Amino acid sequence: MGEYQDRYEFPDLKFNVQRGKKRDNRMEKGEKKDMFVWPDLVVMEFLTAVALTIILIVWALLVNAPLLEVANPGISENPSKAPWYFVGLQELLVYFDPWIAGVMIPSIIIICLMMIPYVDVNPRGSGRYAFSLRKFALINFNIGFLMWLLLILTGYFLRGPDWQLYWPWESWTVVKKVEDNLWSPDPATGLTGLALYFGLGMIIPRLVSRDFYRKCGPARYTIVMLSILLMYFVPIKIFLRLAFNIRYVLVTPWFNI
Amino acid sequence: MSRKKSLWKRVRRSQVWRSVFRHDYTDTRRNRILQIRSNIFLHIHPARIPSHAGRIRFTWCMGGITFFLFIVEVITGILLMFYYRPVIEYAYQDMKYLRFDVPFGIILRNIHRWAAHLMIATVMLHMLRVFLTGSYKPPREFNWVVGVNLLVVTFLLSFTGYLLPWDQLAYWAITVGANMIRATPFIGHEGPFALVDRYHDIRFMLLGGTEIGANALLRFYVLHVIVLPLAAAVLVGVHFWRIRKDGGISRPL
Amino acid sequence: MPTPRSRFLGRGESGDDAAGGTAAPMDVSADKQRINRRMFLKITGWGSFFITMGVFLAGTLRFLFPRVLFEQPPTFKIGVPGDFFSGGPDLQDGHIRVYEQWKKEHAVWIVREGRRLYAMYAKCTHLGCTPNWFPEERIFKCPCHGSRFYSNGVNFAGPAPRPLDRFGIFLAGDGRITVDKSRIYRFRDFDKQGAYLEV
Repeated sequence: MGEYQDRYEFPDLKFNVQRGKKRDNRMEKGEKKDMFVWPDLVVMEFLTAVALTIILIVWALLVNAPLLEVANPGISENPSKAPWYFVGLQELLVYFDPWIAGVMIPSIIIICLMMIPYVDVNPRGSGRYAFSLRKFALINFNIGFLMWLLLILTGYFLRGPDWQLYWPWESWTVVKKVEDNLWSPDPATGLTGLALYFGLGMIIPRLVSRDFYRKCGPARYTIVMLSILLMYFVPIKIFLRLAFNIRYVLVTPWFNI
Repeated sequence: MSRKKSLWKRVRRSQVWRSVFRHDYTDTRRNRILQIRSNIFLHIHPARIPSHAGRIRFTWCMGGITFFLFIVEVITGILLMFYYRPVIEYAYQDMKYLRFDVPFGIILRNIHRWAAHLMIATVMLHMLRVFLTGSYKPPREFNWVVGVNLLVVTFLLSFTGYLLPWDQLAYWAITVGANMIRATPFIGHEGPFALVDRYHDIRFMLLGGTEIGANALLRFYVLHVIVLPLAAAVLVGVHFWRIRKDGGISRPL
Repeated sequence: MPTPRSRFLGRGESGDDAAGGTAAPMDVSADKQRINRRMFLKITGWGSFFITMGVFLAGTLRFLFPRVLFEQPPTFKIGVPGDFFSGGPDLQDGHIRVYEQWKKEHAVWIVREGRRLYAMYAKCTHLGCTPNWFPEERIFKCPCHGSRFYSNGVNFAGPAPRPLDRFGIFLAGDGRITVDKSRIYRFRDFDKQGAYLEV
């Protein structure tokens, strides 16, 4: 605790009192570890702001923000796309019911993001790029980030009228056949499938890497594995839909997944 | 010439000048520090930072750019407020007015729109950078949480702003968004285990009605121009303050 | 007599070590009484503070739910039964006809199926876009996410979770058919009284 306080409680103060003297000595020895914020960093910030201003003005001069006809509740736009950053969620609507795609998935993403620092027990690679020290965290986070990006790109560039898949070289006037051969496994099969996925997903990593489980402890382990399993459930469900035309993996009288 | 110089000197020596600027500008170590420490705006920085943190290669400058874009949004947004009325009868007309008649109206609106889009991108890239550098690790855990909240507020700002032009694009994008809220479990009237009807669910609270109408437009406007920007400003304050308190700019601790 | 120690205890710290302290037994009981009174004040004080804040919050929440809505009146009249059941060869069972003239203003299709008349809500059950009626194909298509519905509103493709909802419909006292948009019937209630009008 004492050491923690020494190191972290007042880093700013430490910087002033101790580091100041130490760094002065070091700088005299030729070690250039620190830089002055004024003027070096402030100039960089200023130039960045100037560059951005120029970019924004040129962009605003070249491209007009869209303004369609006045809102009309009687006529739906076809396709009516959400702003690009929500198109990923809209794309998920094809594969999930609205309460999952629109409510549960974003809420779970946000909660999981907030929990990251409290469940990541790996103390290494703090404050620098260090892929080899944090492979597990970085691989999973980047896959999640890429999935989000991929969904946005699909929804934004590949979806046409009726939210059908159109390749960029295809004309939107071609009418596409809708999927009308979707089916859902019966509840028992669906429940078994889900139980197997989550059950095995929770148990196997524990058996394979006991070290990981020991470091995390039961609570953190459960949270980490559950979030990761939930994350990979999304592409799995998409795959089941595209490959086997499965509409819901679990059908219940109250909700469908 | 010399008289001009002496006048300048006299100004610099005057009580007024010295009451505003507390130190002179000669390039000394002391003045470099004072420049930061005695200026409320620059004071969000420390006087010195580790030299790697000054490189764009390391920080991608995404946090700073996001902050700059937020300021751009505030300025252009305030200007647009002079012409825009959040009433169904006028909203779309005012957009046309801004676009076709008001001097520089179109460019202000364009900047507001594109900067908003850019801000979403930079906020997400900033999160990616912070994750890649492991800058959420102790003692910076809480600041990561504040950052995630800022991400959410940025998304909400963009979402609420999207309805305001009251055109087809706005109306249908928000229809789809608002109808997702309808499916919230328990508190949405079409979600699983719904406890409330469509006059008492969370969607009704957001829209102030069962359809996207006058109340919804006004609510989105109030959220967009005061509630969310205020929340963002407070969170940004906490975010910056905690960077300083939790070990300074990203570096191994 | 308030010693610094008792004052300290009064702030809700444990009183246990006070008993083992140097204070006399009488002082201890006095202390305990003081603690009780202080605890009481503390609980009522903070309690009323949080209750007040809670009431403010609840009031603010209630504030967001207006009593009167300036939306369209929920009921409108569509005509007399004769307009829809004028006899003719297409009145046999299973034949469906879709009337579109109320869609624009009221978001309603009046649908006649055999001897039944019902008011279908022109709002996709997926995410609330307005579907369009294609008379040649005799289906409804939703432009947002591609849901398809038969002419009786039953979904057969796309993400829509259930058939199109229906509004209450009844014969008013003046002999005219009235649609009541405040009553919404879902698929399982389609055969309930009020969801259709039979002639």
